[in-house]
Amino acid sequence: MQWWCSVRAVAWDWTWRPFLGVWVLLALLVAGYVRLRRCHGVGTRGHTAAFAAAALAFWLGLDWPLGALAGYLASVHMLQFMLISLVAPPLLLYSIPPGAWARLAASGPPAWLRFVTHPLIALVLFNLIVFLTHWPTLVDALMVSQPGSFLINASWIAAGLVFWWPLVAPAPARPGFGPGLKMAYLFAATVTTSAPFLYLVFSALPMYSAYELAPPIEGITKREDQQVAGLLMKLGGAVVFWTGIAVVFWRWHRAEEA
Amino acid sequence: MIRFQRRPVRPALTAAALLLAAACAPASDEPAAGAPADSLRGLALPEPLAKPRMVLADTDGEPFDLRAETEGRLTFLFFGYTHCPDVCPVHMGSLAAALDHLGRETRAATTVVFVTTDPARDTPERIREWLDRWDRDFVGLRGTVEEVGAIQDSLRMPRSVTEAPDADGDYLVGHAAQVVAFAPDGRTVFYPFGIRTEDWVHDIPLLLDR
Repeated sequence: MQWWCSVRAVAWDWTWRPFLGVWVLLALLVAGYVRLRRCHGVGTRGHTAAFAAAALAFWLGLDWPLGALAGYLASVHMLQFMLISLVAPPLLLYSIPPGAWARLAASGPPAWLRFVTHPLIALVLFNLIVFLTHWPTLVDALMVSQPGSFLINASWIAAGLVFWWPLVAPAPARPGFGPGLKMAYLFAATVTTSAPFLYLVFSALPMYSAYELAPPIEGITKREDQQVAGLLMKLGGAVVFWTGIAVVFWRWHRAEEA
Repeated sequence: MIRFQRRPVRPALTAAALLLAAACAPASDEPAAGAPADSLRGLALPEPLAKPRMVLADTDGEPFDLRAETEGRLTFLFFGYTHCPDVCPVHMGSLAAALDHLGRETRAATTVVFVTTDPARDTPERIREWLDRWDRDFVGLRGTVEEVGAIQDSLRMPRSVTEAPDADGDYLVGHAAQVVAFAPDGRTVFYPFGIRTEDWVHDIPLLLDR
């Protein structure tokens, strides 16, 4: 039995397969959230809905069938990245009850957290992880084993949390990181994530041996799969980042008018 | 500790600047190809094999004489079957992608020959439809199990083995996973499974002495 998705040498079929590692992760996530609510208040319906959406994004991205298909198609692997690094983390951070943030702010966030969630550091870390986890040599080495694939997914979740923290989390407080800088921060991400997009879409040959040699899926060539992966990163990323920019702008506009 | 300084920026001005910068983002970036090395990535046999003497029916039902039809051409010979879930489509796909990448002149000097190891299910129409997914110029051949086995013997390759069918009547055919290349200068090179498109792109010009 597989506990985590990875590239497999057997042909794809639609037989359901459980990934126990994903279930354990989700169970821990739910248990942690329940405990957080017990200790710091339940928050609003919006917080609960955000947590449900975050958990759903993690589940969709990691469990069968997307998680399994991510071992066959680079495009689905990219979709997985979008879900667990760009969609789920901001929702998860937003879902944390205000009481928990107040407690963190009052107790003083640890130095390492203040450091890694500094906008400049967070932006660099996020891009570094995105670059490394899409680097063919590393992907080919890691995706063929379950621990390796887990490492990539865990890196994406961590990178997503670090990236979204300065934008969503109220603690540690960063009064200097205003709406203009927040929009610039998000815009910078649209530019920096263009590098993987460019090499995936315009590379003349398949870049990842893990996906090139994986049993093919009917209806899509290896090159098309890679190009779709690149487009997903660019277009999907653009939708997420520009939505973020729009939200920041709208909140800023509303605050200026108030 | 690094801190951002608060600066008064109007929302509309910022939005305009972001949109303008997005419009100026680069549109393409063609990666450079690696410099070719002299050594082949396939396994060149120290004692080349002769092209097998074989005349099998092609997908139009016409006899195809391998030696006569591929005289002086770079020839890739592969034994597989169209229901193959992994090795065969990967080999055909990567060879087609490489030939497409290398251009018309290289394609014109090259013949890819696919010989089915599953004549019971691989009708000429089925083989043609399957090969056309990758390249309409790929040649598909069909013979009896015994004829194909004899050709494999001549290439010192193991004969294909048909496994027992499952409840749905589907079955796998065990077959050698390597593509055999016969270069115009007489060299014989074996390419096992794991060979990538970039390896073909590297080796094909070398096999053609270009």
